[in-house]
Amino acid sequence: MSDALRSGGQGNPRDRILERIRAATGKDAKSATQDLEAVQSRLREHPRGPRPPFNWPELVAQFRAQASALQSTVEVVENLADVPAAIAHYLEDLQLDRRAVSWPEFRGLDWRAAGLQVEQRTVRDGDLVGITGAYAGIAETGTLMLLSGPQTPAAMSLLPDTHIAILRTSRIVEGMEEAWNLLRNEHGKPPRAVNFVSGPSRSGDIEMQIVLGVHGPYRVHIVLVTQDAGTPRELINTDWWRQPART
Amino acid sequence: MRVALFVTCLVDLFRPSVGFASIKLLEAAGCEVVVPEGQTCCGQPGYNSGDRASAQAVARRVLQDFAAYEYVVAPSGSCAGMIKTHYPELFKDDPAALEQALWLAKRTYELTDFLVNVAKAKAVSASFKGSVTYHDSCSGLRELGVQSQPRALLQAAGVPVKEMANAATCCGFGGTFAVKLGDISSAMAEKKCAGALATGADAIAGGDLGCLLSIEGRLRRRGDDKTKVIHVAELLAGPE
Amino acid sequence: MARMSGVRADAVAKVPNFEEIRTAGAAIRDRVLSNLDAYLFQFEQAAQARGVIVHWAETGTDVNRIVRDIAQQNGVKKIIKSKSMLGEESSLNHYLQEAGLDVRETDLGEYILQISGETPSHIIAPAIHKSKEDVGELFERVHQMPRKHTIPEMCREARMMLRPHFLSADMGISGANFLIAETGSVVIVTNEGNGRMTTTMPRIHVAITGIEKVIPTLEDLSVLLRLLTRSATGQATSNYISMLTGVRGPNDSDGPEQMHVVIVDNHRTELLASDMREALRCIRCGACMNHCPVYEVIGGHTYGWVYPGPIGSVLTPSYVGLEKAGELPNASTLCGACAVVCPVKIPLPDLMRKLREKSFERKLRPASERLSMRLWGYVAARPKLYALATKLGARMLQWMGGEDKLIHKLPGGLKEWTNGRDMPAPSGKTFRELYAEKKAVGK
Ligand code: SF4
Repeated sequence: MSDALRSGGQGNPRDRILERIRAATGKDAKSATQDLEAVQSRLREHPRGPRPPFNWPELVAQFRAQASALQSTVEVVENLADVPAAIAHYLEDLQLDRRAVSWPEFRGLDWRAAGLQVEQRTVRDGDLVGITGAYAGIAETGTLMLLSGPQTPAAMSLLPDTHIAILRTSRIVEGMEEAWNLLRNEHGKPPRAVNFVSGPSRSGDIEMQIVLGVHGPYRVHIVLVTQDAGTPRELINTDWWRQPART
Repeated sequence: MRVALFVTCLVDLFRPSVGFASIKLLEAAGCEVVVPEGQTCCGQPGYNSGDRASAQAVARRVLQDFAAYEYVVAPSGSCAGMIKTHYPELFKDDPAALEQALWLAKRTYELTDFLVNVAKAKAVSASFKGSVTYHDSCSGLRELGVQSQPRALLQAAGVPVKEMANAATCCGFGGTFAVKLGDISSAMAEKKCAGALATGADAIAGGDLGCLLSIEGRLRRRGDDKTKVIHVAELLAGPE
Repeated sequence: MARMSGVRADAVAKVPNFEEIRTAGAAIRDRVLSNLDAYLFQFEQAAQARGVIVHWAETGTDVNRIVRDIAQQNGVKKIIKSKSMLGEESSLNHYLQEAGLDVRETDLGEYILQISGETPSHIIAPAIHKSKEDVGELFERVHQMPRKHTIPEMCREARMMLRPHFLSADMGISGANFLIAETGSVVIVTNEGNGRMTTTMPRIHVAITGIEKVIPTLEDLSVLLRLLTRSATGQATSNYISMLTGVRGPNDSDGPEQMHVVIVDNHRTELLASDMREALRCIRCGACMNHCPVYEVIGGHTYGWVYPGPIGSVLTPSYVGLEKAGELPNASTLCGACAVVCPVKIPLPDLMRKLREKSFERKLRPASERLSMRLWGYVAARPKLYALATKLGARMLQWMGGEDKLIHKLPGGLKEWTNGRDMPAPSGKTFRELYAEKKAVGK
């Protein structure tokens, strides 16, 4: 038995539980070691399971349709520079506060020209509008994928009443599986929090009537940006990081 | 085709007319029908009550009594389902009986399923005038896939079917459940009756006498003495 | 419940290969269960590598003690909770409150129950038995605010009441929908966002989870999520799926400084060793109860413990003992609706039948019931005797039916039948007799 699996005797709950599991599944020292190796190789291989047929004609259209079905609102702009005006319009239409907080990556945008006051700082209770980017979009379900980090704090998409996400269309992928490829290829391992967000917070806990905005945002607005450098497809479609680095 | 009729214990005791109607339908479809004499029950009451030993004792008789026939047909999805899907489990530790059970399972059919898919019955007629709503009994539906077969026969006989919203929901009979937890069972029967009556059909039809006794019992208790409750075999075979 | 089963049916109908995905989901869960030691070991390694502290609890009492110790060692005063079934199993809230800690449920349904002092009746919709008026009245009394009359107003009020607690709590307790062996992550699926709040805002996050919750990889997670959300609420995805891996980094502005995962046995290894292992595949979607006609009539509380519905009828006797909960597996017509919708293909009726056999063998059923089954078995295996018994029975029942051919009151062991319905009486002769008569005439 490998050292890792060797139990330290009957002394602690961990070993007792693992021992009971081995007994329940009919394992001895030898088979436990072999099975661990098989399990480790499966984790390295991480084969894909079946999924619904993805036969939509176009990724971005599918993303939009699904996101709208989940009560996110979606609009499209060409360039990042067009974003402030688009957001200003959105907030004006809904008569929402024109002050917002955003992730630091949007510091360079000319918010003031659009009549908005956007601060780059930690979100606080009482902030009404939070503007974030998104790591990826998932066309299958119209879902935003956000990674936490010093530059991409998770609370910004959670505390404010209104969450606005800026997503580059080149980051829209087919399904979760492609998003996992991206994550593995670009980061190797997941950050502290990966949050998949599909529309505003909701509850059906009282009489099964769906109400939006329970603990998280009342509304989610997605601004798609079409013109940008683009994400190399091999990051999405391949799993090259798994190949041995040396040849 | 030589067919052994598995009468079922409920039909034997409560409504022999279903047995005779089944014979009539099978003969009309060109079968030679035999009623093996020693038969009693399929063993399900014991099986579902956890009394495996009694269930096995009863089921062993069925294995014997029905060994010699090309087909075995029961006017009940529940009993046919017991034989087809549960006998193999019941005898899993007895290789000799298991072999017999698998062989029997292969040849056993629910009545409407047999008429449509094996005997390919063509001309069916119904003496019943009026519309029906059809209750899908659980074992027939979920263990044997009986759903379109009775409807096809009714359609061929020109009987209009008005579907209820809860056609596939359990009526609450559940064998011994109906006497162990009678109040819950009746409450479920009430929901079934409400769904059936909402269709405005003149009769409630079904393929399992157990369900029909429960549904009719509830219907009469709630004061309805108009709506007929009838086994699909009786409905299709017409009066004696 | 009709609504819940309708939305599932619609969601499933949109996925032509749902059956294939279900089969794959069941296979993933089975693979884990047959190698559970290795997957848990891998999870532990990966989680520890990210700074997670992994605890192992053999019983519910251990869970309570471990969580209390974490709280006390860190000077915790206020705790917020998102749904944890394990916490329900061990009555964790009660225990922590006894220890002087302030514990707040945050799932809207759970919160409603907590402030009204009740227990959940459904695993996905815990307060499904409460009406809007009940909740309005409850909020008015507890919150001391003007009476609200619409559900959106009530939700807003609950949000307002809970928000300060999210922000001031020292510790968040959550369950886990899945543990991922590949990455050492805890996955939490919610619609309200309370799961995100609980795991983002407080400085300590404790996730409590059963040993069976581990799954291999991110790809396997995708398969199971597609099944879970469609089966639970008919959604193609839930609003929030959070995958939490370790503690906040040095420059992060949010996220917990400590993350603990408590892995709990509490009788699960017994189930693993038994012939009912399939029950551990469960991903707690609630579909079996949404489709259960018995649950629909009796409601969740009647099941007496944490898990209602068909899966409760299987888990409860296995976890608290057949002696105490032997009635549950009998409270089913075995109609099979649950097995048809279960996303991981747990043969729930078969498992209930196995439990019935165990109670029968261990003589836990009433003596009268055992006796009548044995008597039935004896007679039904002897055709001549059976013919005689049914001949008498048919006449007796006919007589009882009287003029209107309906029996209004059945005696003895059959009396429950006529509590709420009549019994149509037979016509006096058995099929066997009539058939013999016919044959005799024919000859
Ligand atoms: S038993 Fe199946 S249907 Fe019921 S909650 Fe578990 S996974 Fe869902």
